Amino acid sequence: MASIDAISRGLMLDSLREYAKRRIPFDLIRELDEKNEFPAEILKEMYDPEILGVHLLMIPEEYGGVSGGAYDIYRVCEALARIDLGIATGVFATFLGTDPLNVGGTSEQKEKWLRRIASERLLVAYAATEADAGSDLINLRTRAEHVVKNGKIAGYRINGNKQWISNGGVADMYTVLAMAPGGPCWFIVEKGMEGFSPNKHEDKHGIRLSNTAGLSLDNVYVPAENLIGLEEGKGLLQAQAVFGYTRLMVAAFGLGAGCEALEQAVRYSQQRIQGGSPLSDKQGYTHKLIVPNAVRLEAARAYIEESANRLDAGEHGLQTEGAIAKYSASEAGNRAAEDAIQALGGYGYTKDFPVEKIKRDVKITCIYEGTSEVLEMTIYRGRWQEHLKSRGRYYLEQADKLDELHARNPAVGAHASALALRALGAVMEECRLQKLTRHQHVTFKLGKLIAAVESAACFSRAAAADRYSESVRFDKQAWQAMARIFAREAALSIATEGLALVLGAVDTAGTLADAVNLDAVQAEQKGLISDMDLVALKLKQTFKAK
Amino acid sequence: MNIVVLLKQVPDTTEVKINPETGTLIRAGVPSIINPYDHFALEAALELKKKHDFKVTVISMGPPQAKSVVQLAMALGADEGVLLSDMAFAGSDTWATAYALAKAVKKVGKADIVLCGMQAIDGDTAQTGPGVAQQLGMPQITFCEHVDVDGRRVIAKKQIDGGYEVLEARPPVVITMIMTKDYAPKYPSFTAVHASLRKPFHVWSAADVGAEPQYLGLKGSPTQVNKIYPPPQREKASMFAGSGQENAEKILELMRREHFLGE
Repeated sequence: MASIDAISRGLMLDSLREYAKRRIPFDLIRELDEKNEFPAEILKEMYDPEILGVHLLMIPEEYGGVSGGAYDIYRVCEALARIDLGIATGVFATFLGTDPLNVGGTSEQKEKWLRRIASERLLVAYAATEADAGSDLINLRTRAEHVVKNGKIAGYRINGNKQWISNGGVADMYTVLAMAPGGPCWFIVEKGMEGFSPNKHEDKHGIRLSNTAGLSLDNVYVPAENLIGLEEGKGLLQAQAVFGYTRLMVAAFGLGAGCEALEQAVRYSQQRIQGGSPLSDKQGYTHKLIVPNAVRLEAARAYIEESANRLDAGEHGLQTEGAIAKYSASEAGNRAAEDAIQALGGYGYTKDFPVEKIKRDVKITCIYEGTSEVLEMTIYRGRWQEHLKSRGRYYLEQADKLDELHARNPAVGAHASALALRALGAVMEECRLQKLTRHQHVTFKLGKLIAAVESAACFSRAAAADRYSESVRFDKQAWQAMARIFAREAALSIATEGLALVLGAVDTAGTLADAVNLDAVQAEQKGLISDMDLVALKLKQTFKAK
Repeated sequence: MNIVVLLKQVPDTTEVKINPETGTLIRAGVPSIINPYDHFALEAALELKKKHDFKVTVISMGPPQAKSVVQLAMALGADEGVLLSDMAFAGSDTWATAYALAKAVKKVGKADIVLCGMQAIDGDTAQTGPGVAQQLGMPQITFCEHVDVDGRRVIAKKQIDGGYEVLEARPPVVITMIMTKDYAPKYPSFTAVHASLRKPFHVWSAADVGAEPQYLGLKGSPTQVNKIYPPPQREKASMFAGSGQENAEKILELMRREHFLGE
């Protein structure tokens, strides 16, 4: 899908923010959060093509949508998350529920259903999860049996239960995953079909403005034309095919929520005077609670943008990239919100300040669309294959490119990123030689380290660009300092944690201690504090006290 | 009738900071918005369009990114958009800007009503609208809170000290608008933004509108900005909480102490 032009995208984002400012003030959000209430009217307005039509982003132009690309969707998801992650989830569920149709629907099905979603403002839900089937969809229990009339399959009878379905109790239309005789498939189920009923709305820790409910399917009859793609057995492939996109959306949620919390902390820190000066002037505060979060969030942004641009350029799959983006951004957002509470002290712990709610909300981004642990495994698996296929050259070749970048631009931490990539390659090779991936702990930890090191390399590349993307609110000096800080941290993590990981499993790490080049990594730490001072200052200038 | 609306893209002044050392504006990272007064002028034009089916053309002068305000206007309902963009315009003061905009209005064709905000929030001069009227030889009604059309009569409600006056004009006329509750600024839906890409949009240079270079840019500007500086910070106010009598005594005492009153 081609991206929307920057000016149109900017206008859409302005309209979304203006709508939120006018219609969804914090007091209302707080009240709905307290009551655990889904704002149906607001969602309907947001889907109204005369008011906003936010759901049209996912629908191609030929069916009445605006054909948003991955970059557009990331920007809108980030903006939604800054407003309220529960509302964002309601919109996201429609995006997600529309996906099986976008990926696997026949042109007649798209014409019928996508057009209806666009024009009738249908709220959609994506119903895959069951009690025993989350990321492991293969354990699916919901069954779809043939209903044969005149020797032909006229329809299906669906039986089973779904769990934790966003928009579950409020959607007009559902895409439901069920096991048919020919394998897993997606079916379109409409609200009010006989035998189909949502269960109670869950009482959740956060995102309380989103409706979450289980679904009961008791002998629900759907006509054969509601089988997405009209072919059985394609369901899991269709589910997999959208992960590249959908995980970027959740990554954008983590980023948006984290950035909102961070921004509030930065503004607060300039007003709170302690010991004669504002908190924002104290390293003990900024370098612990503020700067590291800003750096992690901007690194996640760089990674999300690189992946989105690749998807928009026509690359397919990118499952590992989607996993890295979501893992890094959701963990960064969660941490930023946690630290924002600390940064606001007692105020942050009360419901009068939004950071308390952001923290409860953002946690979900580490859980839905693949938990952080499932993603650590996904990332490890994807890159382990690359490591084996390239005979250990995968990261070494990337390191060479980062060295070239460093020669052209020494200000973006590319040397530290290159050291990190080489150390990662060495750690993975040692794990292969000593057969350490038999320990699940090693594989998950590798997933985490891979995400950090690849993010560092990506941030160095992004910070070296002539012009930054429209979403970057910092100047070159600030963003490059952030890239350097992140690269130093990533290099230090892989060199120390990677070595510790191997030594934790076997008696000797062979020549790994030399290969991770700890001396060089330590030498790279030079300048860290002055970079952090600079970032603290720039944050203060960018997010002034109101 | 044909309405032309003049729009300016301005930095969101609530976000602008001033570098205390150089005295210059820090524009990096500051979002650009439609001048709020112009947004009201646009809404006034769109109301007239809705009521009388007039044609609305919008014109903005600025760098390429100022296309954003033109497209916003088209997404909200304007029929056609023009961006005057040329390095020759850079540095124009209000006189040179009014000259260029007047040339563009002429090129658009028959304009019955030219609408714009009373001033822009970045310069606050309130000179460009009247300047355009002068250049076009049209009458002007400034500081209006409402505008309507009855047959061939244009009726404007103009704000004055302590009230308002209702004025009538025969077109063509230039009207400058204040921010008023009669016209709440709207924002377009995603669909409308998308559809606006199909509306006629033109980028015109100085040569396209027949503007002569000697009247444009810094050298065509009779006024030059000498220095920009933030106003000195006011001292903190003293607040008294007490009865009227107590407060009056405290204020008197303060005025004596600060030598506002003779001994």
